[in-house]
Amino acid sequence: MRYVFVTLLLIINLPLVAQAPLSREYELKAVFLYNFAQFVEWPPTAFSNSEAPLIIGVIGKNPFGTRLKDIVSGEKVNGHDVSVQYYDNAEDIGTCHILFINLPEAKKREQVLQLLKDRNILTVSDAPGFPAEGGMIRLFTRDNKIRFEVNLEVSRAAGLSISSKLLRLADLFTPSKNS
Amino acid sequence: MPFKDMPIRRKLMRIIFLICGTALLAMSISLFIYGSRSFRKSSLEKLSTIGKIICTNSTAALIFENRQDAKEILAALKAEPHVVTAVLYDEKGKPFVHYPSELDTNAFPLRPGPEGFRFAHSRLEGFQPVVMETRRLGTLYMQSDLGDMYEEFRNYAIITTLVMILSLSLAWMLTRLLQKNISVPILALAGTARMISDKKDYSVRAVKRSKDELGSLTDAFNDMLEQIQEQNLALNEFNQKLEQKVSERTIQLENLNKELEAFSYSISHDLRAPLRGIIGFVTILEEDYTSRLDDEARRITTIIKNNTMKMGHLIDDLLAFSRMGRKDIEKTTISTSAMVEEVIREVAPDDKNGHIQWVIDSIPDVKGDINAVRQVWINLISNAVKYSAKKAAPVIEIGFISRQGETIFFIKDNGVGFDEKYKHKLFKVFQRLHSTDDFEGTGVGLAIVEKVIAKHGGRVWAEAAVGKGACFYFSLPD
Repeated sequence: MRYVFVTLLLIINLPLVAQAPLSREYELKAVFLYNFAQFVEWPPTAFSNSEAPLIIGVIGKNPFGTRLKDIVSGEKVNGHDVSVQYYDNAEDIGTCHILFINLPEAKKREQVLQLLKDRNILTVSDAPGFPAEGGMIRLFTRDNKIRFEVNLEVSRAAGLSISSKLLRLADLFTPSKNS
Repeated sequence: MPFKDMPIRRKLMRIIFLICGTALLAMSISLFIYGSRSFRKSSLEKLSTIGKIICTNSTAALIFENRQDAKEILAALKAEPHVVTAVLYDEKGKPFVHYPSELDTNAFPLRPGPEGFRFAHSRLEGFQPVVMETRRLGTLYMQSDLGDMYEEFRNYAIITTLVMILSLSLAWMLTRLLQKNISVPILALAGTARMISDKKDYSVRAVKRSKDELGSLTDAFNDMLEQIQEQNLALNEFNQKLEQKVSERTIQLENLNKELEAFSYSISHDLRAPLRGIIGFVTILEEDYTSRLDDEARRITTIIKNNTMKMGHLIDDLLAFSRMGRKDIEKTTISTSAMVEEVIREVAPDDKNGHIQWVIDSIPDVKGDINAVRQVWINLISNAVKYSAKKAAPVIEIGFISRQGETIFFIKDNGVGFDEKYKHKLFKVFQRLHSTDDFEGTGVGLAIVEKVIAKHGGRVWAEAAVGKGACFYFSLPD
């Protein structure tokens, strides 16, 4: 009887235990998204004027809830206010500086990337193989810590300059290694 | 040795050395102060710069909470061995990473303190904010030991000491060389002066080496020597002239004296012949014509005879005096006590009743001219007898005093004596302190005594008081 109780307890607790790191993971990822803005330099043409806001966009299902919005509210990066926008379709994306792509299907992701190819948008996703697909930053977990992988070739092609300080923390994606 | 008594060479060396040393010391101290200040300032700036670099580099690590990266950034401090401790605190002030990683957590402050670096104890430490734009990401703490500062001080001390030793020995060498300019002329001058005063050779001259004050001192010194030499020469010349003049005069005087003595001798001699005639005829008058003369004529004849006799005595004494002057003395040993006894018998033959009390010492023998010395004794003893004759109990004492190289004799009486203020007249010819009416005499006796004793190389003097007697002394060299 006691065993049953313990087992029951374990079963009941399982979703709670599993759900807690998940939300913490995205909370951290939201902070990361905001912090990336501080170590990336956009070409001046990316902003319509010096007062224009820096826009962090999310396409696909929003995993952050209101967390991202809370983080950026009132913050400034290089004199720009920071705002958050959510998109359903790639076509909806107007002015955007950082885009978190939360699309489970690789095909859809590639479509979005293809569409944004010539624009100065820092693309971020936690999908495995994202750099190989032509994405710029992939977020992943290692040793219970959030890490990121950067595809420098793509970010350079998009006219973005990522600070060496950030790159020092990152794993660098090299196409030859993966092909 | 006190400084003021040191030789001038050492004095100069000391002074110059002291000045150089003081100047060098003052300079080293001021340089040291300036150096240490600027070194402190630069170490502060250096640490602050290192801090800035680390803060700038560690922004990403702090933001993305990447301990590994932060550690690597702090590990870069290995290149700066004097930074012994570094700690990065996170946004909330909790230690994020520390350097070196094996450091004990007690070894650094657990919470960030006020901004800025400061010197504390033997280290330099402080906090620096890690800021990105306006966003405070955390704080950096760094602590540096002052090893490099001490090393710098040590190097500085070594260099200063070396420079000091070097410059002081250089100064010493230069001083040794250059002080000669001053000390050598002074020493030469001093040496010359000492030599001159030792040897009394005023013909020596000091060598002039320069045209400064020392040169003029040398000139003045030489001028003085010249003057001394000239004066010495003049003085010598004058002395010689004087000596010559004196000897010339002496010869002149001696000649004159001899002439005078010869003159007085011949006069006396010549005077005696007519006097003898007068005495002879007066005697004839007395003896052969006494019955034919009345009383008055007989009285006058007696007066003529007495005066003529007196004049004869005078001439005899004068002759004796001049003879004494002309005669050379012949020294033989004289038995003085025998001579004195003989003289007493001679001069006081009528003192048969022992009226005079004689006190005679055992007088020693002396060397002298026997006739001349006898004359001295005769004159002095007869004077004593004469001038004490009027006393109820005359006492005459004859004695002597032995001295180094001479014998002093004295003849003392208790007669009438004389006033000492006329002492200077005593031994002059024809000078008398008593009238002829009181005491007979010609005033030649003591003059003869003086002459004889002077010829023997001795002295004559007297002590007396009126009414208390007189004492005559004469000395004869052995």
